[in-house]
Amino acid sequence: MSAGVAAPERSGRSGGRLGFGSLLHAEWTKFRTVRGWVIGLLVAIGVTVLVGLAGPAGTSISCSGPDNQPCQHQGPPTGPDGQPVSDAFYFVHRSLTGNGSITARVTSLTGLYSPRGVSQAGVGTAGMTSGVQPWAKVGVIVKQDTQEGSRYAAVAVTGGHGVRMQYDYTQDMAGLPGSVSASSPRWLRLVRAGDTLTGYDSADGMAWTEIGTATLTGLSSTVQIGLFTASPDYVVIDQSFGGASSAGGPTQATALFDRVALTGTGTGWTGTQLGGTGPAGGSTGGYQQSGGQFTVRGSGDIAPQTDGMGTGRTMQDALVGWFAGLIAVIVVATMFVTGEYRRGLIRTTFAASPRRERVLAAKAIVLGGAGFVVGVVASAIAIPVVGAVETAKGLAVRGADTAEYVQVVVGTGLLVAVVAVLALAVGTLLRRSAGAVTAVILAVVLPYLLAVASVLPAGAAEWLTRLTPAAAFAIQQTVPAYPQVVASYTPANGYFPLPPWAGFAVLCGYTAVALGLAVVALRRRDA
Amino acid sequence: MMPVRTGMSLLGAEFAAALHAEWTKLRTLAGTGWLLLGVVAVTLALSLAAVSEVTCRAAGCGQDPAKVSLTGVEFGQALVAVLAVLAISGEYGTGMIRLTFTALPRRLVVLAAKACTVSGLIAASGVLAVAGSLVLGRIFLPGNGFTATNGYSSIVDAATVRAGLGTVGYLVLIGLLALGLATAVREAALAIGFVLALVYLFPLVAQLVTDQDWHRRLLQLGPMTAGLDVQATVNLAAQPLSPGAGLGVMACWAAGGLLLGGLVLAARDA
Amino acid sequence: MDATIEVSGLRKRFGSAVALDGLSFTVTPGQVTGFVGPNGAGKSTTMRVILGLDAPDAGTALVGGQPYRSLRHPLRCLGSLLDAGALQPSRSARNHLLWLAHSQGLGARRVDEVIEQAGLGSAVRRKAGGFSLGMRQRLGVAAALLGDPPILMLDEPFNGMDPEGIVWMRGFLRSLAGQRRAVLVSSHLMSELQDTADHLVVIGRGRVIADTGVADLIAAASGDRITLRTGARTPAMTVLARAGATVAATGPDTVTVSGLTGERISALLAEAGVPVTELVAHRASLEEAYMELTRDAVDFRAAPAEEAQR
Repeated sequence: MSAGVAAPERSGRSGGRLGFGSLLHAEWTKFRTVRGWVIGLLVAIGVTVLVGLAGPAGTSISCSGPDNQPCQHQGPPTGPDGQPVSDAFYFVHRSLTGNGSITARVTSLTGLYSPRGVSQAGVGTAGMTSGVQPWAKVGVIVKQDTQEGSRYAAVAVTGGHGVRMQYDYTQDMAGLPGSVSASSPRWLRLVRAGDTLTGYDSADGMAWTEIGTATLTGLSSTVQIGLFTASPDYVVIDQSFGGASSAGGPTQATALFDRVALTGTGTGWTGTQLGGTGPAGGSTGGYQQSGGQFTVRGSGDIAPQTDGMGTGRTMQDALVGWFAGLIAVIVVATMFVTGEYRRGLIRTTFAASPRRERVLAAKAIVLGGAGFVVGVVASAIAIPVVGAVETAKGLAVRGADTAEYVQVVVGTGLLVAVVAVLALAVGTLLRRSAGAVTAVILAVVLPYLLAVASVLPAGAAEWLTRLTPAAAFAIQQTVPAYPQVVASYTPANGYFPLPPWAGFAVLCGYTAVALGLAVVALRRRDA
Repeated sequence: MMPVRTGMSLLGAEFAAALHAEWTKLRTLAGTGWLLLGVVAVTLALSLAAVSEVTCRAAGCGQDPAKVSLTGVEFGQALVAVLAVLAISGEYGTGMIRLTFTALPRRLVVLAAKACTVSGLIAASGVLAVAGSLVLGRIFLPGNGFTATNGYSSIVDAATVRAGLGTVGYLVLIGLLALGLATAVREAALAIGFVLALVYLFPLVAQLVTDQDWHRRLLQLGPMTAGLDVQATVNLAAQPLSPGAGLGVMACWAAGGLLLGGLVLAARDA
Repeated sequence: MDATIEVSGLRKRFGSAVALDGLSFTVTPGQVTGFVGPNGAGKSTTMRVILGLDAPDAGTALVGGQPYRSLRHPLRCLGSLLDAGALQPSRSARNHLLWLAHSQGLGARRVDEVIEQAGLGSAVRRKAGGFSLGMRQRLGVAAALLGDPPILMLDEPFNGMDPEGIVWMRGFLRSLAGQRRAVLVSSHLMSELQDTADHLVVIGRGRVIADTGVADLIAAASGDRITLRTGARTPAMTVLARAGATVAATGPDTVTVSGLTGERISALLAEAGVPVTELVAHRASLEEAYMELTRDAVDFRAAPAEEAQR
């Protein structure tokens, strides 16, 4: 044994097999010593940031107050987590100090809306058609105070989604299904015990089912408790040329409550319109009480705001420059291999390391690494810089926590890395830079362009961002889509049909296939 | 000193020879036929997808049937750019450009001849692609609500013909822009990167710019966003630019590209 | 027009590297002019400047009295072969010649003529990308001949040719000169030009080192040395030294003599009764003459140690 110790070492060194490490080192040296490529990657960082700045640079807020005084731009109210929210509804409330509960029966829910989504100025609800919005909500609520954006928990009957318990704008739980009518009423109950609120529903007021509980940490001792009616804007998503446009108009819902029972509260009801107003500027929210029956009329929504509808600028917006940056990365990555074919250097490369797929792997690692660094650096610069400019211009910027920031920055780094590897694989397959660059740019950029800024209807746009490598841009999406909010969740508004990592996986799939084909081609073809 | 007229006719003869040479070159290049076929194929494919998807539910839906039918041009133009880029960068890549300039030492004549041959081929494939797209629109759009009751006449009108011819012109201008940039930067990958970035970036950035003036300005400036205004047949007033002005902006881009290419060609060693 | 190339005072730098440093020479008709110098001496740059591909920082290069870029049908004045590999690989050799012919207003018939002349044969229908280096050289020669030009300029035409091809190329160049054409042929290997060139322009570091006839150059490099083989070395050396010659023993039976003519040496030794088996006038090879000339002008020379080992 001892005699043989030196032998493997020796054969490992001189027996002809090049270590992968040295191969990697060789490819890295090859890459970094072409000045144009290094400049290309720096250009990618530069244009990503600069193009990102074009967004806020070309956006201004015109807001003039009385006497042409400049005024502060008012962003939307923000909820407990700092996210922009809608908080508009008609609230019939009284104070509750300490623990208590509210119970009510809903016997009717009706509504009005404009089918064409066009609100007719100055005519109030005239000309509206009757019909309840699917997410019109009427029910019982406990809310910190009457400030927009304050914490709440509510149990409500909806127009089309049965009984729901919702709290703090983003949380939503389902209760009894079905719609409400005099013959099939819904009993709702909300119980406060400290910070904990528990919602119940019942079809007959006898058998109660718990829907769920909400913990509203830091809820003050005295809260507002009562009945509410909200009816979100009617949204017409028009699948038109030039992308989907959503037009909408205010709507109104009217609910009949009876059997209202409260424990632990004072007396006397107050009616308050929170947030915006009803249809056509006239405040049509209100309530009437006759005997034990309450008729509550209201408009608006208690919900998170969705992007494209006033969430403010997102990280995704700050990274739009990546379309330019990616083109630079694609050009460099493609030339890293096609340049060798054009000059015949590839033969030298394969003479030095005959196992061609290892060469491809080394190139992929070098490019992937470089792409990742470029992606992370450019994003890490672009997001705060663009954000600072947006803030300075008075634009509403959607707040984001560190986890989101890390997801977007690292995710973009991975995105750029994988696109670089895709370009390498396609370049290896086609061997010609012109064809390869075009193919990759078209695969990555064109679907997004068609989906976002162009012509295709929303349905087609969603399929494009689901099936093509452009699906990977989902990794930059930070604004979640809420099923309980009707909105135009289209790529044009920043919503991708796939979750972030699934979208990224689509790109990885394409890249894996391209790499596989490249390996097959490398093995079969003469260099 | 030669009399001017003789000089002009000499130049004409040289241009004719250059044209003949460039035509022979382009037609004997392996990729040319495939690229021209590709331009037609991808344009028709995307146009087909658009005309079968876009619907008009009621009168006043604001859809432009010509624009919808010609959607595929957004895809086809990329292959047009590749064709134009390869017409020169292929020669730089192999070093054959020196032989070309040895045979035809007045380089601008060579560039002009290349521009003419490339334009001719693009126009030929562009006519096929555009006419095919419009025919597809004719077939599919009436079934999607583009009917006379919704305000769309069924005959091919002058505006549609203008949109079609203008789109062919747009494709030619994209080719010239690509040729000019490729002459300036020489490297095919770089040239295509530049052209596609110029073409596709403006609409993306404009999407993010909410200031109405700037949004409009970006759309008016971008080669694609301005140039494709030539496709508008309805609601012309809402377009960022009139069809003619839009194509004019695109022509300025093409002229700028060719000028840049010509300057670099004249100044740099081959 | 007269079939000449006149280069005067060319200067060109690439960054900090001086490529041409005041280069002047003339190529005249009816002879093959060899254009030689070590790698990097500026041969290709000079040719590119002559062809108007590169602009010189100073100086002029005239072809038939005119700058190349003002020629009407340049390939009918000067045919050139710069880089045989510079063609688009997917195009057939014949189509390659065809576009070139069209650029000069020539037709397909002329293409077929030069294909014949260059000995390309049936290979012309194949893609040029698949050609061997030697075949590419022939294709390049065909391209140079296309305009039936009075002046030809070929950069390293012997590169990649097999012995048969080299013989063909030599005869071909001689025949071109015989047709009163001016032929400029660059090479970094003097031996290739030994039996081909009539005149030599030797350059090094962008300057002309020698501009002379081949015969003169060899004579100058040969000097008047004579090698003498004899069984009686010492007596021979004594006799010749006494007669005023410089003598050196170069082997057990050889002596190198200079300062005396061959006839005189014969006579002296015969007079003294010294036996002589062989008497050879030393004739330098072109290679030696060239090495002598360019010794100081070589940029990239092997290290002396390596040279000593060889």
